[in-house]
Amino acid sequence: MPLTPWLSGSSHPDLPLTAPLHASRAAIGTPYARNNFFRQRLSGIGFSRKAFPLRKPVHHIRTTFLLMAGLMMGGANVAHAQGHQEDIPSFVQNGTLTVCTNPTLPPMTFVKGSDASKPEGMDIDVARALAERWHATLSIIPMDFTGLFPSLGAQRCGMVISGIIQLPDREKNFDAVAYQDTALTVVARANTAPINSMADLSGKTIAVQSGTSYATRINRENEALTAAGKLPIIIQQYPTEDQVVQQVLIGRVFAFVSQDVELYFRQKQLHGKVRIILKPDYSDYRHFAIYLRKNAQDRTLVQNAISTLEQDGTLTAYRQKWSISSQTEQALTQDTGASAFNWGAFFSALTSMAFLRGAFITLAVALLSHAIAIVISIPMAITLNGRGNSLLKAVLKTYVSVFRGAPTLLQLLFIWNALPQFFPIFREQWFTPFLATLVALSINESAYQVEINRSALSAVDAGQELAADALGMSRRQVYRYVIFPQALRIALPPTINDFISLLKTTSLASVISLQELLAITQVQVARTFEFTEYYAAALVYYLAMVFFFLFLQKRVERRFSWADRKKASANAS
Amino acid sequence: MPPEPDLTGAAPALHDAVGPLADGSMISVRNMSKLYGDFVALDRLNFDVQRGEKIVVLGPSGSGKSTLIRTFNRIEPHDSGSILIDGTVIDDKTNLTPLRCMVGMVFQNYNLFPHLSVVDNCTLAPQLVRSLSRKEAKDMALHFLQQVGIPEQANKYPIQLSGGQQQRVAIARALCMQPEVILFDEPTAALDPEAITGVVSIMNTLAEQGITTLCVTHEMAFSRHIADKIIFMDRGRILEITPPEEFFTTPQTERAQNFLNQMIRY
Ligand SMILES: Nc1ncnc2c1ncn2[C@@H]1O[C@H](COP(=O)(O)OP(=O)(O)OP(=O)(O)O)[C@@H](O)[C@H]1O
Ligand SMILES: [Mg+2]
Repeated sequence: MPLTPWLSGSSHPDLPLTAPLHASRAAIGTPYARNNFFRQRLSGIGFSRKAFPLRKPVHHIRTTFLLMAGLMMGGANVAHAQGHQEDIPSFVQNGTLTVCTNPTLPPMTFVKGSDASKPEGMDIDVARALAERWHATLSIIPMDFTGLFPSLGAQRCGMVISGIIQLPDREKNFDAVAYQDTALTVVARANTAPINSMADLSGKTIAVQSGTSYATRINRENEALTAAGKLPIIIQQYPTEDQVVQQVLIGRVFAFVSQDVELYFRQKQLHGKVRIILKPDYSDYRHFAIYLRKNAQDRTLVQNAISTLEQDGTLTAYRQKWSISSQTEQALTQDTGASAFNWGAFFSALTSMAFLRGAFITLAVALLSHAIAIVISIPMAITLNGRGNSLLKAVLKTYVSVFRGAPTLLQLLFIWNALPQFFPIFREQWFTPFLATLVALSINESAYQVEINRSALSAVDAGQELAADALGMSRRQVYRYVIFPQALRIALPPTINDFISLLKTTSLASVISLQELLAITQVQVARTFEFTEYYAAALVYYLAMVFFFLFLQKRVERRFSWADRKKASANAS
Repeated sequence: MPPEPDLTGAAPALHDAVGPLADGSMISVRNMSKLYGDFVALDRLNFDVQRGEKIVVLGPSGSGKSTLIRTFNRIEPHDSGSILIDGTVIDDKTNLTPLRCMVGMVFQNYNLFPHLSVVDNCTLAPQLVRSLSRKEAKDMALHFLQQVGIPEQANKYPIQLSGGQQQRVAIARALCMQPEVILFDEPTAALDPEAITGVVSIMNTLAEQGITTLCVTHEMAFSRHIADKIIFMDRGRILEITPPEEFFTTPQTERAQNFLNQMIRY
């Protein structure tokens, strides 16, 4: 990188320029975050649930409050820290440097392997180098982007390093030290000629990730274009970064807007299918910075440390390690030729552990939640079928209406994001995305299963219960040996239909970062951009599972030949 | 609390029979009433059934015949008065399992368990309720299936049998509990004439073996020749209890006369 990056101020491209201090790229828009690939990798571990914050006023208010409280405490800390050793910043306490990061921005900070608690990237390396320099152990706290500044304010961490643009607005409340250059890029397909300015995009369609500040920035360009009597740039917004890139690859849009640092990393996946056609020099999109609580002495110490790392070549080495260099830009323009269906990628996806694991999680979630749904829906159905009107019945009826009425996706988001607001216990580590999905889908499915069970139970002739009673069977025996076996035959086909539907519904759980089959697919697509191949592999898995259960349905129905005169005769003979 | 039955009306015909139990009574009914909401389905009934007696219950539709016999195995609990079966008071404290072992029942619509084979229909309750082994239950089932004349159907499912055959299975199923009383609720009403003959002859055989029988039926062959007594009911009340020859030749009440006229016409 040519410039000494810590000299000038700039802002993170993902933030609208007018964004409030505590806003983030994740919080200002969709619940899907920037790099879906890396988000998906976070699942299963406690912190990852925060990767999909609902946009809720409550949250913002709370965040602001925390931030203010944190600032006050931070102020106290400054005074307290005066007596510290000269070259070690006051926020290094008890020999530990605690760093908050949101590991969703490759190659700065992201989860590379399957262990979501161990982020990697340029930022993490820088943090490690700083810790070493200050003779401290490094403790990384991965968290949602929204949580970064409040956590810094609340002294949960000493500094934030998370690929955040240096922004004057932020520096009113925190100190910033730049450590890495960055620039906005406009990227199109490999055979596209470079353009000279953003104005050349007039009338063309570009894709951006929703929730980022790119749209805000381009709208400012559009104001200028409109004033000049030109057509505006048409903006399409997609929830994930890989979808943004796909739109260019399939030719639906002319170009997409991204960050050069991120793009250098991605070019490995893109195999020269795209190229940078413009790097508009936005002065507020130039540097990534480390943030710390306001403290002039600490700021100088951090700045000195970064200067040293830059001068001794450490940062340059990191940039090479993480492919953050302009040489790699060349690779972007090397077209690898027309892309046909890559059978190799398809088969390796099909046989990969990742897909197998995703399919297993899909199956496990569907089977478990349906089993729970069946277990809770049977007593509900019996109660609802019973005579008379009770309060319990009214409650159950409401339960069924509510959970059949609300979209499943909403229920998932509610349980994951809203429940912890009422019951803090659901914020804890044990409440994993798997468990949350299980709860949401069990409740949702039970509302449907109740109706199946009810109609199946009432389809069993009343004379059956009468006859069983007359033979002296207990209530339990009557149900167990007489009513349930007959109700089962009636309930089974719709139940298996429901199950198949549930199996596919599990894919919604990717929004709360469950690593099920579709989430795995998206992760792989984001990594390789071979979306046709990976979608096809996922399709094969889903179809294989569905066909297996349809086959099972046929087999099980054969066991009910007693209900069909011809089949019964065929069996007997 | 269900409302008390109407006590202001005329005293029931057999009201005077209230008193200590006759020795050897299998069933004793005293002032027994049954309500469905406000509707009086059974109105202060009194009678005794001796051990081994065969009783036919007659009466127009809706008169309470089914309700009456269902009170004896407490499938329909009565609301007031008392019922004694073999000297035991039947109320909400009664242990129902021994009661239902003692009092078997056969329904108009057979109510066989369609998901079980014929033999399993007969062995289910003896195994569950009387704790017989599978082998004991099966031996007994085959014995009674033999007695009702369809041993060869043992492994078929109910759906594969004719109506008459199904009713025979239902009788065998009831007999497998080795009851001392058997209740029939119009067992032949859903059958064609040929099948009726078969089922009635089985009922005759049972009657000859001395099992106490209460039967709701319009089947003349059984009522006239086998029954010891006819109980004639109308609107929840018992109007006559008389031997069949008397009932069919010289009915005491106008209601019974009308009823018999109707019966003969069809
Ligand atoms: N569960 C119930 N709830 C309310 N009323 C009932 C119920 N069962 C029976 N009844 C009423 O009680 C009366 C007696 O019914 P029951 O079935 O004993 O008549 P029945 O003499 O057996 O008639 P049928 O010859 O038509 O079988 C009828 O008027 C009937 O409508
Ligand atoms: Mg009846």
